[in-house]
Amino acid sequence: MEILKFFWTIFYINLFTIGGGYVMLPLLQREVVDHYHWLSNKEFIDSIAIGQVTPGPLTIMNVFIGYKIFGFWGALGAVFFSYLPSIIVVTIASHYYLKFKNSWIVKASFKGIRPAVIGLLAAVAITLGRASIVDFPTGLIATGGFAILVFTKVEPTFVILGAGVAGALLY
Amino acid sequence: MLAFFERELVTKKKWLTHEEFAESIVMGQLTPGAPIVNTGIFIGYRLNRLRGALATVAGQVLPSFVIVLILSFLYIKYKEIALLKAVLKGIGAAVVGLIASVIYSMSGKLLKEYKSILIAIGAFLCLGVFKLNPIGLIVVAGIAGVFMFRGEHRNGNP
Repeated sequence: MEILKFFWTIFYINLFTIGGGYVMLPLLQREVVDHYHWLSNKEFIDSIAIGQVTPGPLTIMNVFIGYKIFGFWGALGAVFFSYLPSIIVVTIASHYYLKFKNSWIVKASFKGIRPAVIGLLAAVAITLGRASIVDFPTGLIATGGFAILVFTKVEPTFVILGAGVAGALLY
Repeated sequence: MLAFFERELVTKKKWLTHEEFAESIVMGQLTPGAPIVNTGIFIGYRLNRLRGALATVAGQVLPSFVIVLILSFLYIKYKEIALLKAVLKGIGAAVVGLIASVIYSMSGKLLKEYKSILIAIGAFLCLGVFKLNPIGLIVVAGIAGVFMFRGEHRNGNP
């Protein structure tokens, strides 16, 4: 019944992915890598890459994770349970749209959550960096990718694909 | 992607007004999950209730689902090949650079006063050093926000 555990995990992770798709990364890493050991940190990084090069939301990376662990049914369940929380919460919230949007509690709590997300992502970046930046060329690719994304308007998809080509040439 | 949405839905099909479209974006950001999907669900629900919501999710997710499925299949089949290993090594490093760039751009926008900086550092230490549960941390950060920023929003301030 490991697969039910996986679906439940995907469901509540997406329920708490508040403040943008990247928030999912610390939550996923905690459960999928550290807790259940379904993926290694390296495979987790590959799943982020796949989520990022595919058109559509980053959260689609759950499909890869599901496929990797449980095959086709894992993938299908992952997509269903990734978006079920959204469907439930958004349809309910849309009935109370004005109250919801103008609520000071919602605004103030987001003011707390957004900076926390930065801290959480920084912690994730460090553990992932330890797994994937192993020598000089990988360090160069990471800093180069960072610089391109910060200082130019190149899309992340192309940076990831470019890094793949660089990896093929360097190793 | 949002610009594309707007052109199709507001300008061409006239299903929504510009104000309604802006509302949908706010809604997408304030609800859990991928903001772009939630914006779509909000629009779909408004146009055609639950059927509309389900249809937008299916429409948004199905193409990526198929692509990810194909990539996953290829990944598992060819993972041990040296060339793919090299490609993944490069990509793995870039993913870290990508996350760093997200942190950088979010910090520039959000870390403007000491309270936010304090929350960010606190969250970093709680996860990075003390290994606390990030879901709990998000909940705590939300509650902390309610207390810390109460004065700024409570009395009808925007």
